[in-house]
Formats: sequence, structure tokens, C-alpha cells
Amino acid sequence: MDELTKRFLKAKFQAHYKNLNLQLPPSFTSREWGFISFDPMPDVIMKRHKYFGSFNEVSEYLIGMAPAHVYYSVAYYDMPGAPRMDQKGWKGADLIFDLDADHLPGAKMTYSDMLDHVKAESLKLADFLTDDFGFSEDNIELVFSGGRGYHFHVYDDKISQLDSAERREIVNYISGRDLDFKFFFKEVAMVGDTGSGSKEFMGKRGKIPTKWVLEGYENGWGKRIAGYVVDYLKTEAEKGKDNPKEMFKDLKENKIAGDATLKKLAGFASDESLLSEITDKGRLDFPVKDFKGIIEYIIQKTVAEFGVDAGASVDEPVTGDIKRLIRFPGSLHGGSGFEVQTLKFDQLPDYNPLTNSLAFDDKPTKVRIQRPFSFLLNGQEFSVVEGKEELPEYAAVYLMCRGVANYGY
Amino acid sequence: MSPEELALFPFLTETSEYVEELDFSLDSLMTSIAFESVRRRGFERVMQAFDGEVSKPSFGNDKEVLSELLSYPYARILVSCVNEPAFTRRYALAEATAVHSIMKKRIEKDPEFVLDIGKDFGVSAVQSEEHIRIYFSDYIRYSLSMKDLSWKLINRHLEHGYVTIQREEFARLLQEAVRKRIEGSLPIPEIPDEIRNACDAQVTELKAKYEEQRQNLGDADLGEVDFSMFPPCINKALSNVREGVNLAHSMRFAMVSFLLNVGMQTDDVVNAFNVSPDFSEEKTRYQVEHIANNQYKTPSCATMQTYGNCVGKDNMCAKIRHPLSYYSALKFLAAKRQAEEEKYGKDEEKTANENNNLENNEPG
Repeated sequence: MDELTKRFLKAKFQAHYKNLNLQLPPSFTSREWGFISFDPMPDVIMKRHKYFGSFNEVSEYLIGMAPAHVYYSVAYYDMPGAPRMDQKGWKGADLIFDLDADHLPGAKMTYSDMLDHVKAESLKLADFLTDDFGFSEDNIELVFSGGRGYHFHVYDDKISQLDSAERREIVNYISGRDLDFKFFFKEVAMVGDTGSGSKEFMGKRGKIPTKWVLEGYENGWGKRIAGYVVDYLKTEAEKGKDNPKEMFKDLKENKIAGDATLKKLAGFASDESLLSEITDKGRLDFPVKDFKGIIEYIIQKTVAEFGVDAGASVDEPVTGDIKRLIRFPGSLHGGSGFEVQTLKFDQLPDYNPLTNSLAFDDKPTKVRIQRPFSFLLNGQEFSVVEGKEELPEYAAVYLMCRGVANYGY
Repeated sequence: MSPEELALFPFLTETSEYVEELDFSLDSLMTSIAFESVRRRGFERVMQAFDGEVSKPSFGNDKEVLSELLSYPYARILVSCVNEPAFTRRYALAEATAVHSIMKKRIEKDPEFVLDIGKDFGVSAVQSEEHIRIYFSDYIRYSLSMKDLSWKLINRHLEHGYVTIQREEFARLLQEAVRKRIEGSLPIPEIPDEIRNACDAQVTELKAKYEEQRQNLGDADLGEVDFSMFPPCINKALSNVREGVNLAHSMRFAMVSFLLNVGMQTDDVVNAFNVSPDFSEEKTRYQVEHIANNQYKTPSCATMQTYGNCVGKDNMCAKIRHPLSYYSALKFLAAKRQAEEEKYGKDEEKTANENNNLENNEPG
């Protein structure tokens, strides 16, 4: 990044901050702020331990300095501006989830594939936060990070005091780690009015009739399991109609059940009323051999399906870090020029960062490309090679921020 | 609550307010003949920590209630004077265990009463038919120290922020709350010398007993470094280093701090890295010494998991929460086994000697 480019980007960022309808986080005066400026680039120098006492101070700083990256602490402190962490006096912290494609396992994907993948994870997380944890959407700020993912900020007094280990327990919950099927799939003595089928469970009659049930099928992971079991059985039975060989292929391959058992299971799986017993009553005791093993297998699949790839990253235990700095919503990401945007939950499914987070218009802008580069922005495929190029401003800013182009010619 | 009840739950805010209103001077508590029974009971409380549970009396008269009430602050002074973190933990656990026994019974008959105790700890919980619904953050706060997988939040039924649990489980969580509160409030800072002197004899006795137990338990020193007792995560890291595989920064840190904590010398730790062609002794030494000088603790299992450094979990791993505990647990078991063998071996030797004597027909 040459001097002219730095000056250009700074001016562009400045203009953004002048027009920005600044929304500050709760208790912003108790937070530490951090900034990375364009000036020393390519060196990345973070100015930390800043604090602001008023709205105008923040606004003036952003316009005056036009930093490349803006962060604030998830923690609140007695003295946010103190130069050392141990002097600040930690008072509490928001609960943060950072779903970033960088952290996600799996093969190499294109940028937009990665963004789609992270979005899917984010939708799952949103469901956990509102349904299981009962946070009101009003207390959750969902933010596109300006890079490769989404941040969730939960502002709630009830969780601000949680320590790192306690926060990790929440991450375990949403990621599905340590879920043990025996706490969900249980044999219970028959009570109430759910029939008497289990008297003949596996052809045996005991003194006390028992049945196998999905405990907690009405909510949380129990509900996810119930729903998944039904979906799985339905789908497999459906496959069997066209080609019996395709049915329960994975159960066969993993030697979880034999052909005769699976044939029997298929019979039950096409019985709608039996299936609705699972989701409506948690009843799950089909009289087939090795049923426990089958359900255990399906429960593992449920975890893989619904668990959020969150915080399991090697580099950043984000949620557990109660003093972390996080990007300021409304700011620009200096590595992409995208706006760090706050979204409503219902905007997420249709949100396309590569269109919606663009902070600049399409005014033709001259740049010198340093190396060949292909990218997708605003629904348009770009492919550029070394040399002079005139691009829409948003694309030009993107390439400059990525270090692929310099300004002007 | 009645004074009798307050005496059974001495750690409650309400109890300490009540005791404060009684307005006895600390001086008289420490020295007055009238409080002899308080001091005796206070000492007993602390001694009972060695057995794992403080006994709870039934009361014959008001004087006994008063004794019980005041014995708790006195016991706290004793524990503070002993001032051994491991002993403080044990005392807190013994007090909490005792209260758990009471609450476990009480909650079946009178759940509201136990829910009220929970309120003193800021626990949001309500009755729901036969069960109790507790807010998840309160649940996590007190269940986290429980190792059984059944306590993990993910294996619970969580609905709109509330976890449904059994009544007796609520009592168990409160035990944890009590333990944390007592442990966190000890030792009392800056106890004046006159107070220390007044209870010196009892403190000396407690210290002696603690020391004796500690020696027996063998948790004094980990002794010689024994590689065969390292947890799988550290072994994996060591073998990676040997094979020239680069460790993640967090794993390198965990391994170095582990090796230092089990008593390996800085030189030996540095040498452990001296296998790759690009080994820089200076750089490695700098890093190792930095960790050694700052006496950094080895990360816990939870942290290891978070960073993806927990590998090859085995049966022992399921019982511990810290890589160092893995090592010290195996060390302890080995020491115990050895002690038994020695004993057994000596017995055999003795028998053999006796036999010899018989055979040789020589007088012993």
C-alpha cells in the first residue's frame, strides 16, 4: 500500500464516518477502545487502552483519525483507559460469539461459499440463543464482521458476570460437544396414557412395562433430536420406495443393523402416526433389534447437523475471552472496506455481504493492479490482471484494502 | 428464619446480620469464660473438616443455639490463622456437605424454604411441579465443578434460559454455592495479633494435624519426573516435537509449562526441543525461561479443549480437569502401590526369615 493509496482510503473512510449514524454500544464509556491506523501499514500497530467519555468524542475521533480498524472491548471496566489490563478493574462482559470462516473446518472454499457456510452456522446459533437460552432478540446484536463471518453480541445483565469457563460451557452446548445419548434416550417405566406397546418390547414381557422415550423432546437438544430422527426415518423410507438398496445405507455400511432389522424399521418409518408420536410425545420404542444402537447413531448425526462450529478455533477462543476487543458495528473493515453491519435476525437469511455491506458507490476509480485477482462483488464477477484498471469505487476500495491494488495512474 | 434455622445455615446474609445485631465483642468471643462452649464447638467444626463433614446438632436450649451461631465466625478465624489454601478448601467443603445433608431432606418437604436459600446466592429458580427450573447461568456457575457428564449443560433440558432439574439436584448445586462462598471469603484478612494469640494453641494443633495428613496423603512433592505418567495431550506434543512437527503456540506453551510444573529443569526442557535442524537454542531458552520465570500455570483441560489441544482422552482424563492432576493422580497411585508392595514384601521377607530360622534351627 503506497502513500497515495493510504491517503485515498483515509479520505474515503473519513467520509464514511462523517455520514455515519453512529450507534454506540451500551455503557460505551466503560469500554476500552482500540484502533489500527492506515499510516504505519504494512505494519499493523494497534493503539489500545483508549476510552471515550461522550458520544462526540467518539465521533470526532473516528472522523479525525479515520482508522482502518475500530474495536471496542466486550468487557466493561472501572478504568477502561488504564494502560495495563490488571489496572482496569473488570466489571463484566457481553457474551460474544464470533463465527468466522477462518475458523471453520473443511476443505478450501471460495469466499462466497465460505460466507454461505458461516451464515448457515449463524442461523443455527440464532436459534440456540433465542430458543434454548431465551435471550430476547432485542438484547442480541447480530453483526456482519466485514470479513468472513458474523458476530453475536449478547447484552444481558444476567450473563455479564460469567467467567471464561462458564462461557465455554455455553459454547459446548451450542456446538454439541459432550452430548451423551443416554441422557436423552431412556427406558422408563410406563406411566400415564401413552399406550401399552412396550409390554411387548423386543418380544419380552416384564413385570413392569417399560418404554423407550426421548426425554426432553419438547425443547432444546431433545427437540432437535426428535425432529431429526423423524426426518431421517422419513427420508430413508422415501429412498426405499424407489430403490430399497439405497435405504439406510449408512446404517448398513457402519454395521449398525442388519438387513432384516432395517426392513422392519422401514415399515415403521413409513407409519406417519408412529412418527408423530416421536415429536409429539417423545415415544420412541420401535420393536426392532438393536434399536438402541440405531438411535445412538442417529443422535450422533443430529449433533453433527445442528451443532454450531463455534469458538472451536485453534487461534481464538473468542467466547471464553472476557477481555477481547471486537469490531465496532458501523465501522469499516480496513482489510476489505466493507461495513461492519448490524442486522435483524430476519434479514440474515437473505443477507449477502458481498452486496449489502458495500460502503461505497460505483463511481469509476482508477487503480494499478499488482497481481491477478478474481472476485465477486455486487453480483458482478471481476477478474483483473497487473496494470491499469478503472473499477467501480467499491471494487477499487476492496482491492486497495486487500493490498492487491494502488490508487490512481 | 428462626434462630435455630439460622444456626444451621451460618453462611447466609440473614445469619450474619442476626449475629451482628447480637453485638458480642470479638474480644469476649475469644477470651471470655462465658464463650468457652462456643470456642469448643468452633474448634470441633474445623477438626471435623478432616473427616469431611461438619456435624449438625439438635438444640436443647437457647444457649446451645447461640453457641452454634457464634461457633461459625470463630471457626473462620481458626481456618484463617491456619491459612493453608488446601485446608481452607477442605473446611469449606465440609461445611457445605453438612448443609447439603440438611437441604436434601428439607427440599422434599419444603422446597420453598430451600429456594429461599438459593435467593441469598442470587439464584433464579422456581418450582415446576415435582421439578425445579433454574436459570442457566446460575446452573452453570455451580455445576461446572461437577465432573459427571450428566451435569453438563448439553445433557440437560434447557428451555428459554431455564434448566429443569430434580429437587435433590438443586440441593446439590446449593452445596456448591455454599462451598464457593465460604472458600471465597477465607482467609479473613488482617487478623489482629491479640486474636491470633488467643487461639494459638488450637491453631497449632490444627496445623500439626493438617501436616500429618498431608504427609500421609503424599501430596507434598511430586518427586522425580516420570514420563510414563504424562497425560496423552503432553505425550502427543512430546512425540510431535521428536518427529519435528511444529506445535501450535498454545500447545507449546502448555507442554513447556507442564514440564516445568512437574519439576523438569529449564535445561532439560530446552533440550527436549533440540531435535530439529533449525533448532535455535537461544530462542527456545528465551521462551522456556520466560514461562519458568513467570511461573505460568499449565492450562486446564477446558482450555486445552478450547484450543483443540486435548487429544487421546483416556479413562484417567475423565476423572481429572487439569493435565497436572493427571500426573499427580498417577504419581499418587504409584506411590500407594509401592507402599503396599513394600509392606507386603517386608511381610514376606519376615516369613521367609522365620522359615529359615526354623529350618536352620538356630535361635533368633
